Amino acid sequence: MNKNPAEQRNIFLSLYSILLLAYPSQFRREYGTQMTLLLLDCQRKTRSGPPLIRLWLRTLLDLVSTVPVEHLQNMREEKSFMSKLRADLTAIGGCLLLTICAFLLLSYGRAHQVSAILVFGFALDAIAFTGLVGNLIVFLLAKFTTLKPLRVALWTFLVLTGVTLLTLLAIGGRLDPKFNATGVTIGYIVSFFFWYGLHWLWAQIGPHQRSSVST
Amino acid sequence: MVRKTTRKPEDFLPLTPAMFHILLALADKERHGYHIMREVEERTSGNVKLGPGTLYGSVKRMIADGLIEELDERPAPDLDDERRRYYRLTDLGFRVAGAEAQRLEQLVRSARAKKLLPRTKTG
Repeated sequence: MNKNPAEQRNIFLSLYSILLLAYPSQFRREYGTQMTLLLLDCQRKTRSGPPLIRLWLRTLLDLVSTVPVEHLQNMREEKSFMSKLRADLTAIGGCLLLTICAFLLLSYGRAHQVSAILVFGFALDAIAFTGLVGNLIVFLLAKFTTLKPLRVALWTFLVLTGVTLLTLLAIGGRLDPKFNATGVTIGYIVSFFFWYGLHWLWAQIGPHQRSSVST
Repeated sequence: MVRKTTRKPEDFLPLTPAMFHILLALADKERHGYHIMREVEERTSGNVKLGPGTLYGSVKRMIADGLIEELDERPAPDLDDERRRYYRLTDLGFRVAGAEAQRLEQLVRSARAKKLLPRTKTG
């Protein structure tokens, strides 16, 4: 059952190559190979065991935090929100990918009773769900009202996270006997900070990027 | 794609920490992605670790802004993977890195004046 370190490294490298699909296609075409080479170098120079696991987690976290930034950047550069159907589909695809990853992690975590993986899976699950629903609401409100986008994002994700979490806590136990209230709660809290953090970042980089695009 | 720019170095400030670290890494010589990452990690005693997405996201923006450029030829073609890309600072990149360093120096001076940092010995 235990795979040797070289196999583990290859598996993670393959997984990372697949996860790169979450980036905008142009970015992926331009830098996908370089990013894989970089990870390959990092893996070669990292000892097996905890240092390697730390590298993988850091790489996944980096991916999760930079994919939305690249998509936002892509949309800004093209100065078009509505006409970016492909970018929207890619974003939805990214969220679906997160959902699949979450499902696999949850299945694995449940089968092997690995609590760390379970919590990570719950967080991905919550990020995917609130990402799909919340960003759609934020987009529509920001597009068709004069409300400030950052404030809209704060309240949307706060309300969506709160309502979903409370609903799950109320009925989750009845639907699933193995329902993990703590894991789900942590997952939704992480998800709230993740999405609101991204919107905050978006608001911070806005002026500089606008000026660089207009020159 | 490099945007033609007539912007002054000050227009780019403040830089993100990742961008400034990359400019610093390329200040003395051209490097490829992994070398940039290692240089930053060593220089900051492991406190700053640039992930692939952060590194290449910044590289993309810096190339577009004309702060760095990709080399057409690899410095040691026989010694490494031919797919590797090397980057170096442009003149504008040098000036922007200098302007950012000056801005940070000024902030440190202000912090010293407010006694948030110990005074440096002069003379």
